[in-house]
Amino acid sequence: MNRTPAELHTNRRRALQLLSSSLAIALTRCGEPREEIVPYVEMPERLVPGIPVRYATALPMAGYGRGVLGITIDGRPIKLEGNPRDEFGGGGTDIFAESAVLSLYDPDRSRIPIKDGIVASWEQFSGEWANGPGAGTANGGAGMALVTGRITSPTMLAGITALKMRYPELRQYRYEAAHDDAPRLGAQRAFGRNLDVIPHLGQADVIVVLDADPLGPGPNFLHNANEFSLRRNSQQPQRIHVAESGLTLMGAMADRRIAVRPQRIAQIARALASGFGVNTGAPGLSPSETAFVQTAAADLKQAGRGLILAGETQSGSVHALAHFLNSQLHAPVDLLNPADPEEQNHAASFSAFLRDVESGQIRSLIILDANPVYDSADSRQLAKAIAAIPFSVHCGCYANETADACRWHLPLSHPLESWGDLKSPGGATLLMQPLIRTLYDTRSSAELLNLLTMAAPMGARDLVRANWMPSGGSDFEQWWRQSLTAGVVPNSAPAPVSATAAMPSFETVQDPPQGVTLSLVPSPSVWDGRYANNAWLQECPAPFTKEVWGNAVQLSPEDAARIGVGFGDAIILRRGYSEIEAVAAVLKGQPQGAARAFLGQGRWRAGDIGNGIGVRMTALCPTGLERQIDGISIRAGGKTGLIHTTQYHTKLEGRDEDIFPLAASAQIASRLAQLKPDTGGIVPPLPADPYAWAMVIDNNLCIGCNACVIACQAENNVAVVGPDEVDLGRDMHWLRVDVYELDEADGLRRGFQPVPCMHCETAPCEPVCPVAASVHDHEGLNVQVYNRCIGTRFCESNCPYKVRRFNFFGYSRGQEYGNLGQPPVRAQHNPNVSVRGRGVMEKCTYCVQRISAARKNAEKEDRLIRDGEVKPACAVACPTHAIQFGNRNDANSAVAQLQHDPRHFSLLAHLDTRPRTTYLAKVWNPPAGQTG
Amino acid sequence: MARTVMVAIIAVPILAIVLTFALWESPYATSQFVTQNQPVPFSHEHHVGRLGLDCRYCHTGVEQAAFAGLPPTHTCMTCHSQIWTTAAMLEPVRQSLAQNQPIRWVRVNRVPDYVYFDHSIHVAKGVGCTTCHGPIGRMPLTYRGEPLTMGWCLSCHRHPGSFVRPRDQVFNPDWQVPEDQDRAGAALVRQYMIDTSGLTDCSRCHR
Repeated sequence: MNRTPAELHTNRRRALQLLSSSLAIALTRCGEPREEIVPYVEMPERLVPGIPVRYATALPMAGYGRGVLGITIDGRPIKLEGNPRDEFGGGGTDIFAESAVLSLYDPDRSRIPIKDGIVASWEQFSGEWANGPGAGTANGGAGMALVTGRITSPTMLAGITALKMRYPELRQYRYEAAHDDAPRLGAQRAFGRNLDVIPHLGQADVIVVLDADPLGPGPNFLHNANEFSLRRNSQQPQRIHVAESGLTLMGAMADRRIAVRPQRIAQIARALASGFGVNTGAPGLSPSETAFVQTAAADLKQAGRGLILAGETQSGSVHALAHFLNSQLHAPVDLLNPADPEEQNHAASFSAFLRDVESGQIRSLIILDANPVYDSADSRQLAKAIAAIPFSVHCGCYANETADACRWHLPLSHPLESWGDLKSPGGATLLMQPLIRTLYDTRSSAELLNLLTMAAPMGARDLVRANWMPSGGSDFEQWWRQSLTAGVVPNSAPAPVSATAAMPSFETVQDPPQGVTLSLVPSPSVWDGRYANNAWLQECPAPFTKEVWGNAVQLSPEDAARIGVGFGDAIILRRGYSEIEAVAAVLKGQPQGAARAFLGQGRWRAGDIGNGIGVRMTALCPTGLERQIDGISIRAGGKTGLIHTTQYHTKLEGRDEDIFPLAASAQIASRLAQLKPDTGGIVPPLPADPYAWAMVIDNNLCIGCNACVIACQAENNVAVVGPDEVDLGRDMHWLRVDVYELDEADGLRRGFQPVPCMHCETAPCEPVCPVAASVHDHEGLNVQVYNRCIGTRFCESNCPYKVRRFNFFGYSRGQEYGNLGQPPVRAQHNPNVSVRGRGVMEKCTYCVQRISAARKNAEKEDRLIRDGEVKPACAVACPTHAIQFGNRNDANSAVAQLQHDPRHFSLLAHLDTRPRTTYLAKVWNPPAGQTG
Repeated sequence: MARTVMVAIIAVPILAIVLTFALWESPYATSQFVTQNQPVPFSHEHHVGRLGLDCRYCHTGVEQAAFAGLPPTHTCMTCHSQIWTTAAMLEPVRQSLAQNQPIRWVRVNRVPDYVYFDHSIHVAKGVGCTTCHGPIGRMPLTYRGEPLTMGWCLSCHRHPGSFVRPRDQVFNPDWQVPEDQDRAGAALVRQYMIDTSGLTDCSRCHR
């Protein structure tokens, strides 16, 4: 029916009609939607619907394993926690482990085999393989190539051995984009063979760090963080000297730090060695470098045990020198036979692969869970060369850049739905068991190798069991069940080997070349790019820049001034004929002439989340695996670069010195005394209740790794908002890690301060709420009642700690970012936490669902909740145990004890908000003869 | 005429408000006493009231989990593979087992998603089945015995002493409130260590 606009015009009669008809519609059904209950036909044994079950499994990180416990509810994995029985890791997690559960449900994961861009089947592939390259046993599989990442899994290694038995001419190339070639070269030079060097940070009295970041992301991170925290928690002081070419988490923990260009590190290492009777020639050092070396050397000589750590962007000779000095100092390091048995170094292997592909020697190519097209400097060239290979197959969880170039793509199962085994960097073997049946028609890597070998078809579980059958002893089933329950194969950690480090020879150190030196380091959020399609990780603020959804180039203020750019301005980097456009992040403490950037962004076939984020820095490399590139010229220009950062969203009112008190250990008590308000407030204290929940966060232990942020996101269904909303200041993280930089007498010092809701006893957010949506409960929690909230945001403006987050849109219901609203992603949601809708304020609840669960357990036994029974997600995740939670009214609880610590303080105490979340101040341990 | 209009101007809004509230609390809105069409006309009156089956025989999760649980088809078939094996009424149950397809029951007792109700703690603290589910042993077809509104929840959370019963009576469908409930209930609240101060906190049921 066509109507003229005049007829559509609403008059009084029409308005009344609409009003009464809508009222009538509303009255016809006031009740609830019809719902069904669908029980099992046959209930699995011991299953109680709604009760979380924990399974031990392991997750790969650059080929190494780390033990995790997967929490599943009604068969859905919803959260991962560290496995305390994985002694190497110590029970914490990092952001990669926490976010794996989101990757499991990623809608972009490959679901079915694909041939030439068309849906195919596994049967079709096995047929083509058997009649094609797989039939070539007569010539021993000549021209066949296998490309993998680092493999430590005994079952997979056995699978590769079987494949090589069948095809003796098969060539294997193994590389990791974020590789450890420099430490390997160092070990080869010092010990004459490949050895893994595992440092024990906790046992060293003095640590000298040469451009290394033991607390940065990586397979050893959990081990290092745990050891670091155990030492800091003990009363024995430790001193950390750091010389580095960029900002690292270890540098932020340093008692003394200098920033130098990466080439100077070799000189500093030599000067340090000459203090220990090694004739290294007399390198010329600047006054500040000399001072650094003198204090470090003096400290090392005085200390009981010293430890020297060299970084992965440094050369093999610096590592060899560090090994030599460590053996002189009897440093606490374990030498282990490598968990990765491959002899060849990563860069050599990768170059050989590039050469063989280009020369056309490879006739059939199998790429197993690697992405060489993205990792290679000249992606287009490599993609073209791979496309020319007659038979090429890419196996991975995603149809990525390399899959695009290959004829076949085979989908791999996610680690959380696979059987398998992995070795931790400490050498212990971890078992993987699936938390859920494969969501799609995928295979695990072990099954795939079995398929390529054309052996009798076997499930992944049987393959793993068959591989372990000889180790199980007489009662294999008993052994298997025990190992699976623990997640760790008993007594599998190897004993350290002994080796003597030879005095290394010295190369002549060249002067730093013209131009800027660019160090490429693995991203603290997406590692080498393999996690780029994980929205939690993309929106996880980088430690110093607080950048999300991108990888800006970190420049020193001097360089930035010379180029004429500021924080967030567009720049163009050029090396030879390669040029890339990027964004500058200007950071104090970055040495002049050195820039630093993160790998892993700039992907074009990552998926809906990761495509087109940031810049692919490896385009500047000669091959793609170089980690330090000299002679870069930088100029302003390019597309208007918009840096996405959460840095200034939540700036607290006050002087940084007062918000983040910092002093030498001897002075901290008097420093904090200055901050104490003179008088108490006028509001009377809360009435007593058995429980008064409180949290104490130790700034001295916080290394800024963000594990708590992602753990909170996973536990509490915290939404991702995307880069555009971040630019408007609307990120939703309930817990953030603030970074502070303070100019102290001896230079710039940095520190991290995690800020969840303070649960103030006299909460400023409560009296301003017109609908009483922000109220207190009897146990001291400041609770937000979503159903009452009408979204005035008065509470947010009145919160001095800026911890409240508002759903400007339906970020988690109806208007999700990217593909996060698709059904598979919803399966990740924690059923014990409300999913918040549009127009509602939300914030940290102290994980009230966990308190509630613990209270019910205790009350069923007619007792009070014990100390340590409630642990919020952030506290469980923290690899340094910096977050303690408990009942303040129990004098024996951990939090009550910590509140008597001389370093204890409340944030913005002068406001008399009486926060339940309090802090222990960061201190440093000044070198001898220096008061701080 | 003018007088009628004046009365109407005052009375109509008042009546409308009264009517709205009455409707709001009425079974029409709360679905109280409403039976649903179920795939099998299961009778609690028969199984519980007459045969005396324990609630926990079918609702196995009630002492451990938030959700009391509905029985898997196998539980029905423990008896019905022996008795009434050809009853037409039980055809959906037999089909469910034969085809390995679950029976899809229509939900009768429901609280909104933002309410995190937990059966196990209520049962442990002496709240009986019939306190919330009504005279279940006398229901030929199951209906919602109580309104399950927040005000109704709070009536007990404010005064648990009026409702709690001895632990051995929790699953008794015929339990009657004794005359001395005021005294006995108060004693039980002390015995169960129920801290009434926090029972009406928002965070008790909403997260």
